[in-house]
Amino acid sequence: MTATPTTAIDPRVAPEIVSSVFYGASVSDTLALLVAEMSDVPRLSWGNEGAVHLLGYAQEDLRGLPVAQLLPSLRGSELKLLLRRERAARMNLPVRTASGVFVECVVVCTPTPSGRMWNLRVISADNEQERALRATADAHEQRFATLTERSPIPTLLSEQGMRLAHVNDAFCSLVGLQSEQLLGTGWMGSIHPDDLDHVIEQVAVVLGGGDGEAHARLLQEDGSERMTVIRFAHLFTPGVGAGFVGTIEDITERLAFEARLAHQANHDPLTGLPNRTLLAGHVAERFVRGAAGLACLFLDLDNFKVVNDSLGHAAGDELLVEVAARLRSVVRPGDLVARFGGDEFVVVCEDVDEEDAVALAERIGAALAAPVRLGGVDVRPYASVGVTVQAEEHTSADDLIRDCDIAMYQAKNGGKGRITVLDQQARAEARDKLRLVADLRDAIERREISLLYQPIFGTVDGSSTAVESLARWQHAERGPISPTTFVPLAEESGLIGPLGSLVLDETCRQLAEWDALLGPDAPRRANVNVSALQLDDNLHALVEAALLRHELHPSRLSIEITESALMQDPAAARGILQQLRDLGVQLAIDDFGTGYSSLAYLRHLPVDCLKVDRSFVAELAEGHTEITTAVIALAGSLGLCTVAEGVETAEMAEQLTRLGATYLQGFGLAQPMSGTGAAAWFAQRASQVAAPAVLPSLPVPRDPSP
Amino acid sequence: MTPPQLAAAPSFDLDRLLTSIDTMAAQKPVAAQIVSVANSDDTSARALADILAADVALASRVMKLANSAYFGMRGRVGTLQFAVTVVGFTTVRTMATVALTDLDDESRLPEDFWRSTTSVALAASLLAPRFGERPQDALCLGLLAQVGVALLHHNDPEGYRELVAEEPTFPGRRAAEVRRYGISGMRLTSVALEQWGFPHGMVAPLSAVDDRSSTDGALLRCAFELAARLTQAGYEPVDVSELTGGQLREDVVGPVLDQVAQDADELRRAMLDS
Repeated sequence: MTATPTTAIDPRVAPEIVSSVFYGASVSDTLALLVAEMSDVPRLSWGNEGAVHLLGYAQEDLRGLPVAQLLPSLRGSELKLLLRRERAARMNLPVRTASGVFVECVVVCTPTPSGRMWNLRVISADNEQERALRATADAHEQRFATLTERSPIPTLLSEQGMRLAHVNDAFCSLVGLQSEQLLGTGWMGSIHPDDLDHVIEQVAVVLGGGDGEAHARLLQEDGSERMTVIRFAHLFTPGVGAGFVGTIEDITERLAFEARLAHQANHDPLTGLPNRTLLAGHVAERFVRGAAGLACLFLDLDNFKVVNDSLGHAAGDELLVEVAARLRSVVRPGDLVARFGGDEFVVVCEDVDEEDAVALAERIGAALAAPVRLGGVDVRPYASVGVTVQAEEHTSADDLIRDCDIAMYQAKNGGKGRITVLDQQARAEARDKLRLVADLRDAIERREISLLYQPIFGTVDGSSTAVESLARWQHAERGPISPTTFVPLAEESGLIGPLGSLVLDETCRQLAEWDALLGPDAPRRANVNVSALQLDDNLHALVEAALLRHELHPSRLSIEITESALMQDPAAARGILQQLRDLGVQLAIDDFGTGYSSLAYLRHLPVDCLKVDRSFVAELAEGHTEITTAVIALAGSLGLCTVAEGVETAEMAEQLTRLGATYLQGFGLAQPMSGTGAAAWFAQRASQVAAPAVLPSLPVPRDPSP
Repeated sequence: MTPPQLAAAPSFDLDRLLTSIDTMAAQKPVAAQIVSVANSDDTSARALADILAADVALASRVMKLANSAYFGMRGRVGTLQFAVTVVGFTTVRTMATVALTDLDDESRLPEDFWRSTTSVALAASLLAPRFGERPQDALCLGLLAQVGVALLHHNDPEGYRELVAEEPTFPGRRAAEVRRYGISGMRLTSVALEQWGFPHGMVAPLSAVDDRSSTDGALLRCAFELAARLTQAGYEPVDVSELTGGQLREDVVGPVLDQVAQDADELRRAMLDS
């Protein structure tokens, strides 16, 4: 319901006064309007329905009521503040109603031009809607406060720059201070001085409306530090401005855990020394190509295996720990001591020349030489030390470490307990060898090692029913590489396993292929050479797997092992040979007569055949028949058959037959040939089967391969 | 409550003083504009900075304050808009009010006016969270609380000096103001601030500061107590739990006093051009 002020019923209020106050406005009855005028004291002269309703006075009671009685908070002369003569005033005041209850109101007072009358508009500030809004806002604020206050996450709240308006208990306990000490800029003192700038930068970003995150160390009351991530979120309060909410994640434990993991990843658990990974990183960080002064010392303990084998692994470990401690104590501060692996250690030093490095190596040698008591025994640890100082030709950190490794091997080869500085030639040779090893690895992986097969002839009927597999390597740049080069290389570089597997597998595959091509005319057996290093418990499984894979009977294989390989550990060799024998493969001792076989052992080795070394066979041409005769006789008396190698002439063949050799093999009889070549060769032999197979009729090789 | 004594100094005219509050705005229009728009809900830092830019002295004072140690930004505030963001809208409005009322001219103020004012303001801001108040508002209220005192002093420098000499404590001084001028400086402040459109919630404590039963005035009352401890020699402390109806205990006062003592001078320098 609305009423226009011109309907005012009291004639004492001039309509123009009312319209001057409420001009253009439509006035609701809910609006309380009063007119006051000056007599002895200011008194009300009129009130509208709204005023009657709000104040609880009857119209007639309002008339004459002192204004001061309605507004008792305006004490003394303060009534002047509201009832101004020249201008309107607006005040928030408690208004006393007829019942004596106070109502919070906004009172707007406008003077008439005479300056002796005022129009008062009284608006209750206490309406339902506002109260509800305030209550909602208060509830929101209360919930937010409770949430942050009780939150276990340290939380900061700023409404101005870096100045905090609020910190919760979690933050107080994190830094060990009272909130009063942290509010304002007080909390800045809890941030590590070195991290403060970054935090402020992030706050600046966040105040500008972005989001930010800072890693910062927080200082605790006791002086310790916590590593934290502070995440900032922009906070805007209308009418107030921008601030931020910061939440803190204490990552001290997480970082410590990560550091432990990183330490474990980079350190040897036994000695606590940096490991190979850290060493590589350390040297790489310091290596500047073309610079000088960086040196690596590579140490390998002499006779460590002896300690391990004789006193046990615990003693071996103890020795390594002791050596590590001595190394650490003898190097200069800042030098790195790393455990490279096994009984190998590397020391890295900076700002040294060759002389300094050698002096350090000597100091190390002296420090190590003091006896260590292990299991009641005094052991003097000696080390072979390779020294390399960075030079022009080192292009990377790896080069430097590799060179000191080479130097160490040189030292070792020169006799134990030595110090060697790597020279140019040795470096070049070692590099060359390393490249060849890499090439050999590739060749094995790509099956570029080919096999040639050399027929073996029986002396009884001159027939050939067996071949020996011979590995060949045609290097793309270097041409053919002799087995006498690449087999030892494979043995040294750990490639003999893959190489041996390749030869065994390929031989079996070839036998199976020949079977398919030639049927009964295919070679009945193939001899495969096995390195001394392959003579272990895996050999049996390897052989068996190859046979199975190509569906061959074990009798189709003969394993040839050199005499020297067998004699390295005859007891172990015997066991392995027995396994193979039980499997059903034949066994032959290669190069017999070149080693120093104990005849007693020989008697007990489960072998089928001795191969007479080509050097003895060659002596036949010079009339020396003694050894060959003796070997053949020995084999005969042990019930073994013999294969004479290196047969080059018909005369030799005839002579060996006469001496009682069982089989013959040599360039003079048949050259090694490819799998295809051998297939053709055997096919041709089969077609001539009607003709008497006499050995001296030297066959023409089909395959010109060496 | 003692009845007010209306013994106004003969030379003093409250009407004239109230009128002067109106004319101040006309003399410093930029400051007046900021006072009127700063706290509306749709005000932005950009809008305020745009207005502020027209008053070089005020703008540079806001920049200086934003980069002061008080806000901890270590000189990272390069633009006026960011400065407004950092100090907050209420503070910008307060600084405009300071300019409007010539509070930046120390020669026209009672002795130690700013020292006590910054102490009151800092104490109020630091204690605000304890009373559920916003520190920024509390700081500004503290800075402006004595506007009325300055106005009384402007109009009656001699008389006011005498009054201060006779009544060293804040409450005593306020009672003396009522006796001499018919109104306390603080009440005058509330009239002026309300007239300039400061929110009633911010202004209300000014009227309640001497009413110990009122919770509205507790924060400001306590801030004056702390300021007195710091600025008045030989002051006899009153227990803050008595002043605040037990809302605050003495044991939190120590660190607040330390911080106030530490920051007051910096804030004073930033607020003034000295």
